[in-house]
Amino acid sequence: MTHVALAAEASTVPDERFLIARAQQGDRVAARSLYDAHSRRVHRVVFRLCGGDEEMARDFTQDTFIRVFDKLSSFRGESAFATWVHRIAVTVTLNGLRKEKRLKRGADDLDVANDLPALSINVDPDLRAKLRAAIEALPPGSRASVILHDIEGYTHAEIGEMLGIAEGTSKARLFDARSRLRKALAAYAKY
Amino acid sequence: MTEERLNELLDDARRTWPMPPEPDYQAMWGKIEQEAFSGVRKQETRTPSWRVYSIGLAATLVIGIGLGRVSMKEQAAVPTLAAVSTDTTTNTVGAYDRVASDLLGRTVVLLASLPAEARNVGSGERFSNQATELLTSTRLLLDSPAASDVRFKSLLEDLELVLAQIAMLQTGRTRQEIDLITDALEERDVVPRIRSAVARLSRGD
Repeated sequence: MTHVALAAEASTVPDERFLIARAQQGDRVAARSLYDAHSRRVHRVVFRLCGGDEEMARDFTQDTFIRVFDKLSSFRGESAFATWVHRIAVTVTLNGLRKEKRLKRGADDLDVANDLPALSINVDPDLRAKLRAAIEALPPGSRASVILHDIEGYTHAEIGEMLGIAEGTSKARLFDARSRLRKALAAYAKY
Repeated sequence: MTEERLNELLDDARRTWPMPPEPDYQAMWGKIEQEAFSGVRKQETRTPSWRVYSIGLAATLVIGIGLGRVSMKEQAAVPTLAAVSTDTTTNTVGAYDRVASDLLGRTVVLLASLPAEARNVGSGERFSNQATELLTSTRLLLDSPAASDVRFKSLLEDLELVLAQIAMLQTGRTRQEIDLITDALEERDVVPRIRSAVARLSRGD
């Protein structure tokens, strides 16, 4: 069965259990379909957690899927497949960042405004850049909370599953991260 | 800055945060396929695993702590004026070393039982309570002079992270959660580093 046909067949099945079951049996075409279905979202989250480092984002995304297919036989469907994959992605990324100890951009890097897309209303571009720099300067766990909740739109329950923490802990971490952001941006309150 | 203003900024960030450039997904898949489906798993090339290390380490710790206690008693029995006057700092450092050795030993025992814990649903609360207790000790050590050694501090920080993960397992844990923790242990070489730390502590480095 070709990749396209398999994907088409999968689309007729209301969930991806079919693909997962095939991939668990070593079917590379099914695995490729799962990769195609999830790699873009995973890469986007990883890219943002990495502070925009393309090389790290590519490596961590690769590592995530190597891990996913390595451990697929242990996936029992206790959570949604996407949540399981994202949890591995976040773990791989945070562990990798900790190991590498190289974040390209710090709190004092304010040149990021040049990369930003067109303005939305009411926000000074310099302040936008400062917010982004402040988020990237947060400790990894706090940065993950802000990016996953406030930028990517995940719920605390989902973040709890991804990070392996309780929902309340996720809320507490976000509260702490936001306090740090308010403090970091206190000088720009007039904007 | 007010919470309201920060919410506005974060709403704006959600809309305007740059999208990543498209990577070469095909090339990435090639590497993933090679690694994940080649039949030669990384795990198989890692010898010995941390589980093997942990057994040896636990034995080393038991012997080391036992010898330490015996030698301390002997020292206490024959005090000398010179020793009393000059060894205050050494004794303080030694006390931290003993606490550290004890912590590392108990942590290794906990980590060694982690795989079995995945199969033993009933003892989850006790297990996480032990992790919480060790986590508290780890944090206290992080704030102590024992953490002035950069390598030891780094080890304590990694232990803090792993113990926090274990402490949060509580009930309803899954095999995947345990697997992720054991993976983190292996990736960070936690157990081999504990072994090195214990060896350094026993040498008094």
